[in-house]
Amino acid sequence: MALPPILVLGTFIGFPIGLAFLFSIGFTGGLNEVLSIIGQDVRGRDGKLFTLQAYKDVIADPRFAGDVKTTLIVSFVATVFVLLFSTGIGLLQRLRGGKLSSVLTALSLTPLFIPVVISSWALYTFYGSAGLYRTIFHSFGIDVPQITSTMLAVIIGSIWVSLPFATLMITSGLQSVPNALIEAAQDAGASLITIIRTVMLPLALIPIIIALTFTSIGILGSFTVPFFLGANQPTMFGVEITNFFSVYNRPQQSIVMAFIVFAAASGIAFFYIWANFRNAKESGRV
Amino acid sequence: MAKDVQPLNLYTKSVGVKVLLSLFSGFMLLLIVGPLLWLAIHAFATEWLFPSYKPKGWTLDWFRKVFEVPTLVDAMKTSLIISPIVVLLSAVICLPAAYASARYNYWGRKSFLIIMFASNAFPKIGLFATIATLYYFLNLMGTLVGVIIIQVLGTIIFMTWIPAAAFAAVPKSLEEAARDAGAGKFRVFRTITLKMAMPGILVAMVMSFIYAFDEAQGTFLIGAPTIYTMPTAMYAIVETYPIQVTAVFSILLTIPSVLLIGLARKHIIGGQLAEGFQIK
Repeated sequence: MALPPILVLGTFIGFPIGLAFLFSIGFTGGLNEVLSIIGQDVRGRDGKLFTLQAYKDVIADPRFAGDVKTTLIVSFVATVFVLLFSTGIGLLQRLRGGKLSSVLTALSLTPLFIPVVISSWALYTFYGSAGLYRTIFHSFGIDVPQITSTMLAVIIGSIWVSLPFATLMITSGLQSVPNALIEAAQDAGASLITIIRTVMLPLALIPIIIALTFTSIGILGSFTVPFFLGANQPTMFGVEITNFFSVYNRPQQSIVMAFIVFAAASGIAFFYIWANFRNAKESGRV
Repeated sequence: MAKDVQPLNLYTKSVGVKVLLSLFSGFMLLLIVGPLLWLAIHAFATEWLFPSYKPKGWTLDWFRKVFEVPTLVDAMKTSLIISPIVVLLSAVICLPAAYASARYNYWGRKSFLIIMFASNAFPKIGLFATIATLYYFLNLMGTLVGVIIIQVLGTIIFMTWIPAAAFAAVPKSLEEAARDAGAGKFRVFRTITLKMAMPGILVAMVMSFIYAFDEAQGTFLIGAPTIYTMPTAMYAIVETYPIQVTAVFSILLTIPSVLLIGLARKHIIGGQLAEGFQIK
């Protein structure tokens, strides 16, 4: 019964990825022929069966270093803030409860309702030259530059978009820490910080790692947010892959970049799988 | 289940903490809701110039204008037709697999769940670029079928993981009890298993619908310039139409998600989504 999704994924994800990998190392025949005829700068057309020239092209490109830097900084900073916010809100809800924490949870889940295209565009108008952000400062007599087309805007946008999933994961993880454990630690005289550090966070580690991996992988390959909010150059890989594919018509280099991002994402994904297996082992399912 | 847990009510009397929390809430309010409201209000503005806090005048005219642009109306129709098809197709493909993953420890089950995850780790836009190669060959570029397949791909992860967790949470003893009482296999599945897993399936369907409705990158690459859905039309109109038109269109595009998530809100926050993302 697991066959249908496997077939669909195999045909439309596995097979094209395999094909694309062959294309990236210079296999230009077969199904890749159309692309290698349409595309510019396709390496391996000279009949060589294996060449890493396309990878060398990408790495030697002057844009590459800037793109790597932008992608890494945005992914790292945004992920850190998403985790800080969502863990903070989760802890607040678990420990304190009350109206304020419900409001905060509701706020951090709001982006879930909004299509990414809309939120990116809304952020663009908000932080742009005629946006509320500049209007507020202007009414205090301060003239600030617009944030849009900077890395800061991409970071804000990425946090905005990623917050709901992380909050759902982490809140649910913290909710499953038994009251009895926390109260026992309290009776033993542990301070709140100690309880959070040694009881609550370790017990919610798996959901936190899941939130971490999905958030960082999501931001790493994101397109819409950096497309609307970022600078043209340097940009994040999601945008650069699109540019290389459709604007510059260099599909091979675009696919090479996709594999570079995939390699980075796989590194992060390893954490996720490890965390899940550890989890399964502890509860005796493996 | 998570939602039944009571907070510990560790109230501090410290005014400092209260002030800090209120400041943080205000900051979050501005950060999250600010941009949405800012854009939404533009939908009712005649003209709005920097650095004014409010527009020159109010109007509902922009709503009429949006429905006068044929490409935008077509995009709305296409979106409303495609998204339900994607959700149903995805359900037909995935729900049996979700059930199997929850009930049987078949060979390669874990690999199946991990492959599912790995396919999600490959950058979407790179994936669409590679799929385009295959589409050229299969003559699917610029076709409705091509767009539907692209959107189904992204929903598979929701439609297998979340229902799988929901099916797994149905106690086997209940099913067995019903069998002992003489109910047939199909009846047990329909009245017990399916019924109890329904909230999870509902969440999966809502998430899939929103994903399909929201999907822009793949739809644009495969569908344009013949097929436009609401989000891909959005890419085009932000450059050519006044901001008020984009604001109206944004409001229209947000309505289905708000309605649907509102419908399933209790279950999403109740942990069905979070449950689904842990491989078991």
